[in-house]
Amino acid sequence: MPNLLQFCLVEFFFITCSSLLQNKADAKTNIMNVRMKNFVHLVGKTGKEVEMVSFESGMQKASVSLATNHYHLNAQGEKVEETNWHNLVVWGKTAASFHENVKKGNEIAVAGKLTYRTYTDKNGVNRMVTEIVVQDYYLHTKKVSAQGESLETEETEDVELLPF
Amino acid sequence: MNEYQKNQVQLVGHLGNDVQIVEFGKGNKKASFSLAVNSSYTMTSGETKKETSWFTIVAWGKTADSMEEMLKKGNEVGIEGKVVNRKYVDKSGNSRYIFEIVASRFSLLEKSEKQAVEV
Repeated sequence: MPNLLQFCLVEFFFITCSSLLQNKADAKTNIMNVRMKNFVHLVGKTGKEVEMVSFESGMQKASVSLATNHYHLNAQGEKVEETNWHNLVVWGKTAASFHENVKKGNEIAVAGKLTYRTYTDKNGVNRMVTEIVVQDYYLHTKKVSAQGESLETEETEDVELLPF
Repeated sequence: MNEYQKNQVQLVGHLGNDVQIVEFGKGNKKASFSLAVNSSYTMTSGETKKETSWFTIVAWGKTADSMEEMLKKGNEVGIEGKVVNRKYVDKSGNSRYIFEIVASRFSLLEKSEKQAVEV
């Protein structure tokens, strides 16, 4: 078993390095590279309750908007706050737990990939929506105990979320 | 990465055009280009589909300087930056949305022609 694990690690390292450097469009290595080639990591607060959609095929989709805050100093040296809104989309099993655990205003960290799609609105105008397809998330919550004291807890959904 | 980022994106892809430079007063410089990121996925039928996503990359200051110098159309490049969604009102009064990636770091992954000859 340790040998197998070692082999996997070495293999992973080799595949990652070789494909990044030599730009091999090999279907086998591509699965592993998807995440390296397109990876987003966001930390922010949800702006509304999670919306859940179930499809006939049994697939579930959860969506919510996320606000990330960013500060910068302007020419006068004043702090300017910028808020960016992102559309998050979660599919499959993660969607169910996401819907269950995440409430409006919760601070969450998400990792996923950046996608966009186009649609035609009522007036026939083509519009583009950018979405972050969430693969892992991490909920950062303050739980209130029975006595009303706030207890700082962290709920971990996926430990390997923060790679940095 | 020394600083903990709350909004971070990494992309690896090819430049779809040459870097466009816009110069503002006080030496402010903005570089922009579009980046094609290839990915593939397997459908339930076992069929593998390839897709290309295009992203707008923007950089300011020194990053813009080095992008202008180093990057050319077709180069493979790795980008690190943040995702920005913003809204503005155009001349006709329509609100428009802009989606771009503001790059803070990048690295050229492709060997340049000169290096390739040496190898």
